[in-house]
Amino acid sequence: MNPPVEENMNEQPPASAYTQATAYAPMEAAVADLVEALPEFPGFERRVWAKTPCSRGGVDDPRYTNVEIEYRFSKEDSQTAKVREQYIDALREHWLGLGLRIVADRPLESRDRTDHDLVAYRPEDGVKLWYSVAFYASVRVRSGCVPVSDLSEIEYVPPTGGILPGGRRDLVSSYFPDGIPEQEAVNPFASPDDFEDQL
Amino acid sequence: MSEMTWQQLRDLDCGAVRALGDLWKSHVETMLDQTERLRADVVEGHLSVENFESDTATQVREHITLTADRYEDDLSDYATTRIATTLHEAADAFEAEQNELKELIPLIESRDFDIEGPHKEYDVNLSGGLHQAILTLDPPQWLCDMVGITKPSGFWDWDTLKALFNSVDLYGTAIGLAGQYQDWLRAVMSRAHDADDDAAAALSEMSDNPTELPPHLGATYDDLIDDYKEGVSDEVANEARAIAEGTSGMSPEQVNQWWENLSDAEREALLEEHPEWVGPVDGIPTEYRDTANRVLLDRNIDSLDSQIAAKEQALAGMDPDSDEYERAKEELDGLKGDRSDLVRLQEHITNEDGSPKVYGITDQQYYLLGFDTEGSGKAVVSIGNPDTADNVNAYVPGTGGNLAGASGGLMDRTETMARDADNASDAETATVLWLGYDAPDSIVPEAMQSKWAEDGSKALERFTQGVRATAEGEPSNLTLTGHSYGTTMVGTAAATQGVEADNLVFIGSPGVGVDTASALGVDESNVWASTNDEDVIQYGPVHGNAPVNESFGGNTFTSDSPREKTEWWKFWEGATENHSSYWDDGSEPGEANNEISRSNQAHIVTGQEDMVR
Repeated sequence: MNPPVEENMNEQPPASAYTQATAYAPMEAAVADLVEALPEFPGFERRVWAKTPCSRGGVDDPRYTNVEIEYRFSKEDSQTAKVREQYIDALREHWLGLGLRIVADRPLESRDRTDHDLVAYRPEDGVKLWYSVAFYASVRVRSGCVPVSDLSEIEYVPPTGGILPGGRRDLVSSYFPDGIPEQEAVNPFASPDDFEDQL
Repeated sequence: MSEMTWQQLRDLDCGAVRALGDLWKSHVETMLDQTERLRADVVEGHLSVENFESDTATQVREHITLTADRYEDDLSDYATTRIATTLHEAADAFEAEQNELKELIPLIESRDFDIEGPHKEYDVNLSGGLHQAILTLDPPQWLCDMVGITKPSGFWDWDTLKALFNSVDLYGTAIGLAGQYQDWLRAVMSRAHDADDDAAAALSEMSDNPTELPPHLGATYDDLIDDYKEGVSDEVANEARAIAEGTSGMSPEQVNQWWENLSDAEREALLEEHPEWVGPVDGIPTEYRDTANRVLLDRNIDSLDSQIAAKEQALAGMDPDSDEYERAKEELDGLKGDRSDLVRLQEHITNEDGSPKVYGITDQQYYLLGFDTEGSGKAVVSIGNPDTADNVNAYVPGTGGNLAGASGGLMDRTETMARDADNASDAETATVLWLGYDAPDSIVPEAMQSKWAEDGSKALERFTQGVRATAEGEPSNLTLTGHSYGTTMVGTAAATQGVEADNLVFIGSPGVGVDTASALGVDESNVWASTNDEDVIQYGPVHGNAPVNESFGGNTFTSDSPREKTEWWKFWEGATENHSSYWDDGSEPGEANNEISRSNQAHIVTGQEDMVR
C-alpha cells in the first residue's frame, strides 16, 4: 500500500508556456512547418494525439501532462532513402536555421538497417521535436510538462501532411467524444487517405 | 510429490505417453457414436413415445437420456480434457527435459564428474579420478584448455610446474563448471518434477471427485432425480470455482478447452454471476477476462468506499490519544491508499463513458488481466490483446513494484516498450505489465531473499501457458523481460517450473537464481542480458552469476547509462539512477534518452535479433 500520490506533490510545478489545451495549435504548426521544409513530401499515413505522464521524484503528477502528437509515414515510405536519410539532413539544417537546439543526432546502426533519432529543442516554449527512423519513420512533438486541461477546452486542429481531417487515420477521436466539430467535418466527396480495403 | 530420478527421465518412452493420449482421444470419438445410437435407436426408436406410452417408459427414456448426457460430458471433461491433454502435456514437458539431459549427461560424464545426492537436489561433484588427476599434476586436456595451460607430458618440466602453480585455478575452474552443470541438472529435474506433479494432480483430482450418475430406477427415483438435475446445473459453477481457487488440477490449456466447451449462455452466466472466477484465470480468453476484471475493479472500489465510511464512523467515536485509534487510523490510511491505487488504475484503462481506453500512440486497447491489493499489490495489464498479437512481451518489474505503479511508473515503461515495438515492426505486439507476484518492498533485506521469486514462479509459469492456450492462430513470439529483481523472478520461474517463453531478457540483473543460461529451459541463443556500465546492480550479484557475464552463456546487448548525477559531489547518484534508466525516452528537456537499449529490446521482442547491438 502506498500513500495517495497527492501527498508527494507539494513542490511548485515547473513553469510552462502552454496549458494542455493551448499546446496543440503551436505543436501542429511546428509539424506543418516541417512538412513545408521537406522536398517532395510523400504524405503521412496517420496522426495520433496522445499524452504521457509528468513524473517528479519517480511519481506521476496527475495535474500535469506531456502533450504529444505523432505523425507516421507509411511502411513503404519509411523504407525510402529520401525519408530515412535525406530528410534527416534537410531537417537538421532547417531546425538549426530556426534557432532550435539539436539535442540528439545519432544513427543506430545494425546489420540490415540504420535507424536514426534527430531531436531538436525549442528554447522559447520548451517544445521538443523528434524525427525518428526505425522500421517506421515518424515525427513527434512533445510539449514538456503542461497543466492538464478539461477535455472540453481542447480544440480540434486539422492535421497536416495529407491526413484527412476526421478520417480513420486521424487518431484523435478520444479527445472529441462527441465527434470532430462540425466545421471540420469530413468532406464526403473528398478522396480517402488511401484506398486500402476498398479496391 | 514426484520421485522421478534423472535415469528414469532419461529412459522414459515419451512417445508411448503421447500415443496413450492419442488413443484416449480416438476412443472418445468412437464412444460418442454409442450415445448417438442410444438416443436415435432407443429413445427415439424402439422405446419412442409411439411404441411405448406409460409413466415407466417416460422415466426410462429420461434416464437413458440423462445417462447419455453424463457419458458425453465425462468423455469431454475427463477423457479428452483431463486424460488425453494431461498425457500430451506431460509427454511434451518430459521430452523437452529429456532432450536437455541428452545434452547434459554426456558433458558431465566426459568431464569425469559424478552425479550424487537425492533426486530432489542432485549434486554434481568432481570424481575421485578427477581429484587424483589434478593432485598428481595430470589434469585432463579440457581443464588445461579452460585454464589456459599446456597439458603436462608426465615429466617434471615447465608445463608440470605451470600445472602446480595453477592448481588452485584448475580446482576452481573444475568446481565452477561442476556447479554450472549442477544448476542445469537441478533445473531440468525441477521442471520434470513439476510436470509430473501437475499431471498427477490433474488425474488424481478426477478420481478423487467422480461425477454423480443419475439415480437408479425404482421406488426412490422420483425423490432423487430433482437433486441430480440440480447438481448437474450447478456443475459448471462448481468447476469454475475449483479452477479459480486452484483446486481443479487443470492446466491453462485444459482450462481453455473447458471454457471452449461451455455454451455461450454458460459463459455469460459466469461473467454475470461470478466474474471473480473468470477474471484472474489463465487459459480463459483475454476479452472475457478483461470484462470480468473491470466489473471486479468497480466492485472493489465500491467495497473500499463502504469500508472507509465504516472506519471513519468508528474513528469518530474513539479517543484520539488511544492505541485503538492509532491502529484504526493506520487501517483507514491503508484502505484509502488501496482505493487511490485502484481508482488510478481504473482511470488509466477506462474512458469517461466506461468503455475500455485505447493507448493512443499504438492504437491498442488496455486489457485488465488481474489485480490484487494484498501485500504490495498485484496487477496484470496488457496493451493490445495477447490472444491475437504476433508478439507478446511481458515486462516483470522488480523491487518496489506495486499496485500504484500499474498506473504510474511501471505503466510508463510498459507504454514505452509498446511504442518502441510498434515503431520497430509492422507485426502487432501486445505489451503486458506482469506484476503477478508480490515483489519485494526493500533492497535489504527483502530483495536479498529468493522467496519472492519462488512464491511467484507458479503464477508466471501459468501466465505463459495461458498465453499459449488462448492464442488464436499461430503461437505468438513470447518474451519475458525482467528488470532488477524481476530478472530473478523470471529466471527462478524458468529454472524451477519452466516457462513457455521464446525469449528471456534480463535487464539490470542481480542474478537470476541459476549460474548458467543452460538451466533456464530456453535456448541459450534466446537468452539476453544487459547492464549499463554505471548501474549499481553490477556490484551486488546476490542471486548467482550475473547473466551479462560470459560464463553465464547467454547473449548481451548494449544499454547506455544516460543519467547524470545532479551535483558533482553526489558520486552515488549515477550508479543508482542508471539502474532505472533503461527505458528513458528523453521526454523532458535535457532528460536522459536510452534509445540504444530501447531499440535493442524492441528488436528482440519483435523477432529481429540480428539487429541487436
